[in-house]
Amino acid sequence: MAWFVGIDIGSAYSKGVITKENELFGYYLMLSGGNYRTTADRIRQELLKKANLSQDDIANTVSTGSGAGNVYFASQKVSDIVCTARGINSVFPSARIVIEVAGQSTKVMRIDEQGLVANFVVSEKCAAGSGWFVEVIANVLRIDLEDFGPLSLESKAPVAFSTGCAVFGESEAITRVAEGIAKEDIAAGVNKALADKISSMAKKIKLEGPCVICGGGALNIGLIKAVEHELNVQLLVAPQPQITAALGAALLARKEVQGHA
Amino acid sequence: MYFAGVDIGSTMTKIVLTETNHTVLSAIKGPTGPEHRQLANEVMKMALEQANLQLDEISYVVATGYGRLNVPFADRQITELTCHARGVSSLFPNVETAIDIGGQDAKCMKINNGKMIDFVMNDKCAAGTGRFLEIIAATLGVKVEELGDISLKSTKKVQISSLCTIFAQQEVVTRLSDGENLEDIIAGLHDALASRVTGLARRLKIEPDVVLTGGVAKNVGIVKAMRENLGCELFIPEEPLITGALGAAILAKEYSVKAVSKGEPSPTKVRRLEKATFFK
Repeated sequence: MAWFVGIDIGSAYSKGVITKENELFGYYLMLSGGNYRTTADRIRQELLKKANLSQDDIANTVSTGSGAGNVYFASQKVSDIVCTARGINSVFPSARIVIEVAGQSTKVMRIDEQGLVANFVVSEKCAAGSGWFVEVIANVLRIDLEDFGPLSLESKAPVAFSTGCAVFGESEAITRVAEGIAKEDIAAGVNKALADKISSMAKKIKLEGPCVICGGGALNIGLIKAVEHELNVQLLVAPQPQITAALGAALLARKEVQGHA
Repeated sequence: MYFAGVDIGSTMTKIVLTETNHTVLSAIKGPTGPEHRQLANEVMKMALEQANLQLDEISYVVATGYGRLNVPFADRQITELTCHARGVSSLFPNVETAIDIGGQDAKCMKINNGKMIDFVMNDKCAAGTGRFLEIIAATLGVKVEELGDISLKSTKKVQISSLCTIFAQQEVVTRLSDGENLEDIIAGLHDALASRVTGLARRLKIEPDVVLTGGVAKNVGIVKAMRENLGCELFIPEEPLITGALGAAILAKEYSVKAVSKGEPSPTKVRRLEKATFFK
């Protein structure tokens, strides 16, 4: 039995996955911090510790994410779109549409039955279209990120955000707080604004077949409900949604060595 | 006769008082701030004091800017586009293109014989507005007024690739930790803002004379970057913040004169500096 590692250095969080052949064995997640090389080292150590292995036991490592180049011990860098598609395919073989809401980007892709990417759209130019917007507003509302989704579901009247900009959105949220608007209505408004952006991206891709949501945004139940409402689909939610790309990288590490997935 | 133009912007409140022949008697500005709905009164009081006038002596008041509905003593509200166009062409009679970079928006107007004939505007995204500079200045620990002078020391500007203000803020932090010079980073940011505003303006045909107004025009680094991006001469009013209020004051006079010539009584409204109640 051979072991494989996938490491995804993202803009906010970095994730590592270790697989025994093609089975997920363990994962580790940490803030990316200011030095990606150190982060990559730390993730590798933690994964080895989990599996009680030494570096020599790892057959191959693949890196992905915006900081993939810093994983100096990886055999190759692979685009996070390819890795995410691969990771989702291993968990949900029937999935054809993947929505990934990450810290600084959002992606919608169509994948085939082998987990290959057929088409995709990316939003990475604007914080209002990413998980960052939720973080900014959670900070204004002084609530923990994990409470954001459940809180938003309590809203009966989501506020409308008049702008598509995270900076102006932050000011609007502050104004609404000052006006005495309930936190849940503001949180629900943010999820709706983000779901609007995601749905306009998704409409550029032919929406056919089972649809999965992953990335840190998939931890926000309010966002999931809002996207389901906008797109009028039932979403499958990836288990451990943040590690999908790292899982895909580990599976690709195996494929590189063994020639099949 | 005396006239007033009140411009309640997102960031600054500006008032211009004029006499019949458009002589500016007083021009006052103050930060709009969170209590902007009641600020118009205070700034008006200051302007009247400076001009040594009473509120009753003002024949006509025009309010403009995004807070124009919050001026209880105004006789008429007119959009800031119309007022800017009028204010700019009173200072620069040959102006064809006016670009205004405000605290939270940017606009470009085509002007013909003092009248606005077309415009484009961005008020949806902080990039390309004064807000971008405020946020970056705070990140760099520099006063926003100092950005311009610091940027002029730059010898090689750092390319800022992010469009989004928030992403640019993070990019700046990365560039600082890479050891880039402050002045080179600021010069790069000015160029990023100028290229964004120029991109907006290019949706219209840019024809000389081109005038730049708004608070951001006080930044010499931005003026330089705008000249480079537009590739043409750029005129800047002595006080670029007050063109909207000045235009409002000029329009106030025209409305007043029109009313008199039609034999309509001048506004009989009893003017008081009362609290604004519009949002209550």
